[in-house]
Amino acid sequence: MIFQLTEEQNLIRNMVREFAETEIAPTAKKRDEEERFDRPLMFDKLGELGLTGIVFPEEYGGAGADYISYAIAVEELSRVCASTGVTLSAHLSLCANPIYLFGSEEQKQKYLVPLAAGEKLGAFGLTEPSAGSDAGGTKTTALRDGDEWILNGTKIFITSGGDAETYVIFARTDKEAKKHNGISAFIIEKGAAGFSFGKKEEKLGIRSSPTMELVFENCRLPAANLLGKEGEGFKVAMKTLDGGRIGIASQAIGIAQGAFETAVDYAKERKQFDTPIGKFQGIQFQLADMFTQIEAARLLVYKAAYRASKGLNYSTDSAMAKLMASETAMKVTTQAVQVLGGYGYTREFPVERMMRDAKITEIYEGTSEIQRLVIGSALIK
Amino acid sequence: MNVLVCIKQVPDMESKFRVDAAGTWYDTTELAWRMNEYDEYAVEQAVRLKEQVKDADITVLSIGSDKVKETMKKALAMGCDRGAHIADDNVSGKEPCEIAGVIAEYAKEKNFDVIFTGMQSQDRGSGQVGVLVAEMLTLPAVTTIVDFVYSDGRIEVKRELEGGIKAKVAFTSPAVVTCQLGLNTPRYPTLPNIMKAKKKELLSIPIKDLLKVDARQHTDKVYFPEKKGGGLIIEGEPAELADKLIQILKEKTGVLA
Ligand SMILES: Cc1cc2nc3c(=O)[nH]c(=O)nc-3n(C[C@H](O)[C@H](O)[C@H](O)COP(=O)(O)OP(=O)(O)OC[C@H]3O[C@@H](n4cnc5c(N)ncnc54)[C@H](O)[C@@H]3O)c2cc1C
Repeated sequence: MIFQLTEEQNLIRNMVREFAETEIAPTAKKRDEEERFDRPLMFDKLGELGLTGIVFPEEYGGAGADYISYAIAVEELSRVCASTGVTLSAHLSLCANPIYLFGSEEQKQKYLVPLAAGEKLGAFGLTEPSAGSDAGGTKTTALRDGDEWILNGTKIFITSGGDAETYVIFARTDKEAKKHNGISAFIIEKGAAGFSFGKKEEKLGIRSSPTMELVFENCRLPAANLLGKEGEGFKVAMKTLDGGRIGIASQAIGIAQGAFETAVDYAKERKQFDTPIGKFQGIQFQLADMFTQIEAARLLVYKAAYRASKGLNYSTDSAMAKLMASETAMKVTTQAVQVLGGYGYTREFPVERMMRDAKITEIYEGTSEIQRLVIGSALIK
Repeated sequence: MNVLVCIKQVPDMESKFRVDAAGTWYDTTELAWRMNEYDEYAVEQAVRLKEQVKDADITVLSIGSDKVKETMKKALAMGCDRGAHIADDNVSGKEPCEIAGVIAEYAKEKNFDVIFTGMQSQDRGSGQVGVLVAEMLTLPAVTTIVDFVYSDGRIEVKRELEGGIKAKVAFTSPAVVTCQLGLNTPRYPTLPNIMKAKKKELLSIPIKDLLKVDARQHTDKVYFPEKKGGGLIIEGEPAELADKLIQILKEKTGVLA
């Protein structure tokens, strides 16, 4: 076992860090305040750097890198801006990846190639008003009509909704089948007749990443837009989320790392009782715990990423990584605010934003309760 | 066209520097390393030149321990074609003339059309290596360039002079140019290029094969300048303060005539 990044992984980390610090970080605070998604910055530039297709083979416009490199990229972006981190994660893991895993060759050429190149932004629509953790409760329907599917229903909380061009959407194609068996996945493009956007959410955190409602009203799709086999949509969704959880876990690690570094720098500078507060054991213990937890969580994330790259089963690993990383992010960011005291609570420092951003990592792509359910049920199979 | 870019790995300038045990250099343990800033401009310009003329081969050269290969990999990922690593575990103990001698020895029969270097390194800052290489190879050296145009063997550059003045200089290749801030904005190595970099040639050559020049200077001592007393505090009403400040600036500095 070698606990060392490869030369390439180091190069990737340095490159993404430099890019994130010089280009993404300067506007992170303002974009958060304005709830503004800056596509040229937060997505198009990632495409130019080859990040939007990082794990896919070159033949599909990817860079052919491994999942650890992907984890590193999301982590480094999220270290300065969690909204940019999730933009990449949702695009790559939730939209491009299911097309790579389940798409026909024709679908890969048509949809995956421009997604990997960063020419098109991708989104994933599973959640509905009455189907959150219980994704099998999907009510959106897709009925077969000759050579077409007709979709009706609503998806909510969709990351990059409205801005994205390509959507992977789940709908019930068989009302008779048992809950999980009647769902199928589809690829839908922005502009399709009967496909429109509803409400944009106002959020606690990741405010620079748009979250939108999608509305399907007699939206007609060619039969060729079915992704994977009819009735196997639930499997597509679950496999997709296995990978997605590596992305969100990495986002959580990045947020925690950003807050931790701010806290360390602050503790060295801030003086109270004529002493830098970092010299107080009470503060050092907090910093020690933060660092230890981040490192432990990061190792779980890299392990899950390693298994994903090697083609090994990694469902439980990515659930554990996401659970641990997101709870760590919440703890560490809250503690970072504490280390900065009153200043930490103000918008003068980024830790309050990081604390707000951290919370979502315990919720989307399966809440912490759902991660425990995934891990637990694998134990008692 | 044959192009050589000489780069140096230097510590991140935000690092906390300490003088080493011998007292002749800084302590190199626990520092983060990166490419010398001016050398990034050199690499970028070489890659742009290749993109312009298409048919070019860029060698990136660096002297140092195995660790400098990390920085060379970045240059390869930015678009250099091959790497020449001159293996030397005591590069910081070599003075600019020795470094230039090694580079000149490596370059002498390779017919490089253009040799790019940074105008100086961020750590030693002698600014001599580029010009010495040119001298040793009997090539023209044009320093501190902030603009570079190549056309058919003719090179036209802008040099940065003091006081915001620039000079336009034209010459023909082969030549050595040393690059200054403002020349270009170095690209980020893209993911696909990082992946391709690992397949590029990176040869290591032992320093003893190329070191034929004797040192002509040595560093006696490296030290932090003594801290001067606290700043000057002037007191009074704003108008009075302004007058006092103007007087001080006139008498003690060249800021005001
Ligand atoms: C900003 C944001 C972005 C999002 N992006 C996307 C996206 O791009 N695509 C997409 O499809 N969805 C997206 N979502 C939706 C997200 O995945 C869901 O919100 C999440 O899965 C939880 O579903 P819910 O909100 O309906 O909560 P519920 O499922 O209603 O959960 C409420 C509470 O009950 C708990 N709970 C539920 N079931 C159980 C159980 N069996 N045992 C124990 N506890 C349980 C939950 O853990 C939670 O604490 C996004 C959400 C947000 C807020």
